[in-house]
Amino acid sequence: MKQNEMLAMILAGGRGSRLHDLTNKVAKPAVSYGGKYRIIDFPLSNCANSGVDVVGVLTQYESVLLNSYVAAGGRWGLDTRDSGVYVLTPREKADAGLDVYRGTADAISQNIDFIDSYDPEYLLVLSGDHIYKMNYDKMLAYHKEKDAACTIAVMPVTMEEATRFGIMITDNENNIVDFEEKPAHPRSNLASMGIYIFTWKKLRELLVKDMVDEKSDHDFGKNIIPALLSGGDRLVAFKFEGYWKDVGTIDSLWEANMDLLDPANTLNLDDPTWKIYTEDTAALPAYIGKDAEIDRAYITQGCVVKGLVRNSVIFTGSEIGDGAQIIDSVLMPGVKVGAGAVVTRALVADGVSIGDGAVVGSADSKEILLVAQDV
Amino acid sequence: MAKAFGIITSSPEYKVQGMQDHRPIAAFSFLGRYRVIDFPVSNFSNSNIDRIQIYISSKPHSLVDHVGTGRHYNINSKRGKIQLFFPADEATSDIYNTNLNALRRNVEYIERMSEEYVVIAPSCMIFVQDFDELLQKHLDSGADITLLYHNVKDAKVGYATCEVVNIGPEGRVTSITQNLSDEDEANIFTGSYVMKKSLLLDLIEKTARISSTYTLVQAVSHFCGDLDVRAVEHKGYFRPITDLRSYYDGNMAVLDQDVADSLFIPGWPIYTRTNDSCPTQYFKGSSVKNSLVSNGSEISGTVEDSIVGRNVKIAEGAVVKGCVLLAYAEIGEGVHLENQVVDKYARITSTKEIISNKERPGYIRYNDVL
Repeated sequence: MKQNEMLAMILAGGRGSRLHDLTNKVAKPAVSYGGKYRIIDFPLSNCANSGVDVVGVLTQYESVLLNSYVAAGGRWGLDTRDSGVYVLTPREKADAGLDVYRGTADAISQNIDFIDSYDPEYLLVLSGDHIYKMNYDKMLAYHKEKDAACTIAVMPVTMEEATRFGIMITDNENNIVDFEEKPAHPRSNLASMGIYIFTWKKLRELLVKDMVDEKSDHDFGKNIIPALLSGGDRLVAFKFEGYWKDVGTIDSLWEANMDLLDPANTLNLDDPTWKIYTEDTAALPAYIGKDAEIDRAYITQGCVVKGLVRNSVIFTGSEIGDGAQIIDSVLMPGVKVGAGAVVTRALVADGVSIGDGAVVGSADSKEILLVAQDV
Repeated sequence: MAKAFGIITSSPEYKVQGMQDHRPIAAFSFLGRYRVIDFPVSNFSNSNIDRIQIYISSKPHSLVDHVGTGRHYNINSKRGKIQLFFPADEATSDIYNTNLNALRRNVEYIERMSEEYVVIAPSCMIFVQDFDELLQKHLDSGADITLLYHNVKDAKVGYATCEVVNIGPEGRVTSITQNLSDEDEANIFTGSYVMKKSLLLDLIEKTARISSTYTLVQAVSHFCGDLDVRAVEHKGYFRPITDLRSYYDGNMAVLDQDVADSLFIPGWPIYTRTNDSCPTQYFKGSSVKNSLVSNGSEISGTVEDSIVGRNVKIAEGAVVKGCVLLAYAEIGEGVHLENQVVDKYARITSTKEIISNKERPGYIRYNDVL
């Protein structure tokens, strides 16, 4: 399929520090989710499924794992002659020293040469750390229909939640008339999802100016969007309805995993027309033992379950010993739980071993316990 | 190390009731996630044999679908290569549709391979073998042909249609014959050979003048007197799939964790094509014990001692015991199944009880609605 009308750039540089020890060695987009996925599989699969064939991934914080992970574009089918996933880390240039990405907009500015080499008409800017399924091609059609300079995907949230987001104020025709970052008293409930389509020529002009503006934070929300608004360019809101989650904290990551246990969950990872692609592991199907007890669970291949699993999500290659109990918990890839151990309301990080008979977490804890070290 | 290319032979001589109407044994699902062909191809790939010819005797579609370019087998896409050879139309009668004739029809492709040696493996048997090691043993012994056999203690059950390697004094193979004996112990042939490419070409040419219905093993057996044919014993899990019972037993055996450990060895991955299915969902009230469960399934009922393939649905109140459920099978509410092989896309909702005994497992057809 030939198509380079729209190029995608995924912002994947953030640490996600509220995920604590989970992101000590990996950037937030590389954090595991949903049994077999990593968060960045979502925007990458959405790109592949939407026919966006060239994707730049802007990485910075602890990017070794993330770089090697996304470099294998074949995982998302983005490895044909006309497609590819490219890792773009800060680099030294002939006319400038080595700069880290100073902000979200700067990450794009520093790669104008990369984008220009594909000569796209539109640029899709995405976050690497959100969980959702979305057809960007439909959003592009809307952008063209509205003849906009910028289209921002928004979703309705409660007024209480609105204080935590960038909020778009729109007129009756979805034109964005104003924008507020985390307002104390929101004037609208339309939250920005951090998904932008720009007409590239227009954005390029602004970025070139922004790069040399010493007062700028080089940020889309703080600088680029306001500049577009004040310049009289047309910005429109594209309303999204469906599952979308920014898993910024241990509690919200746990919750997003728990959502998968609900048969009516709207993320629907089982949709054969919109699969989420990920790394394939050479693992046996899950083995459920003779004395195992499973009651409401989401379990992937490569797991061995000999104990009890209730209300829990078990990731690739985890092993649960005889008589162990996993209740209301998330076990990330390669977790080993010894015989008789009890894990309650916990999120156990990749590769952690929990010894025989250990007791971790409790049913009446207010917050979900992150277990990042062997117990 | 001398370089070898690999040949995976077809197995038109074995018939598996029902299942084979839809695909060759090589394309049979194994443990829900794999296909039988994954084992010989992974063995080759892990043994650094990355140029592989696969011969298909019938209904190539599902095998071609699965093998594709072969990149999921970790084979270098430039240096390595998987070639698929299809059944030829001229085999007007089944008796001419032998694995040897398939090689003969494509002999020019064998001639063109640049490697000095060839390792031949069957497409209908499940086992793990380091062929690099076997090639080394072949070179060390100086034999013309090295065969791989597996010693079994229950030769009458499950190996009835296999061949036996008869080994004379000094370890020389005297013949390879049908397993007709009454003995419980036998050295069952694994369908695997190592020899020089030139010798294989020689056999193909010479046997044309002896019998046009010879299989490869008959040809080798014919020349056992003239050639130095040796045998090496295979250890570990070994299962030829020659009929429905052996297919069923072969799947069931891997529910034993020790057996699984002998087939899935760290550092020896068995590759397969991923379907990108999501993890399996176990709903409230489900009960699953002693089973292997592939991804993409939804389980509300009771499952015991079974193999659950990809994207299988087991409804509330359904009871599945001792079954092999292939991908997309659907077991309806309150349906009770015991000791069945349920083929792909079969839907069982109206018939409430299908029970067979373990010695004669039942078979529910592809796409069937019951």
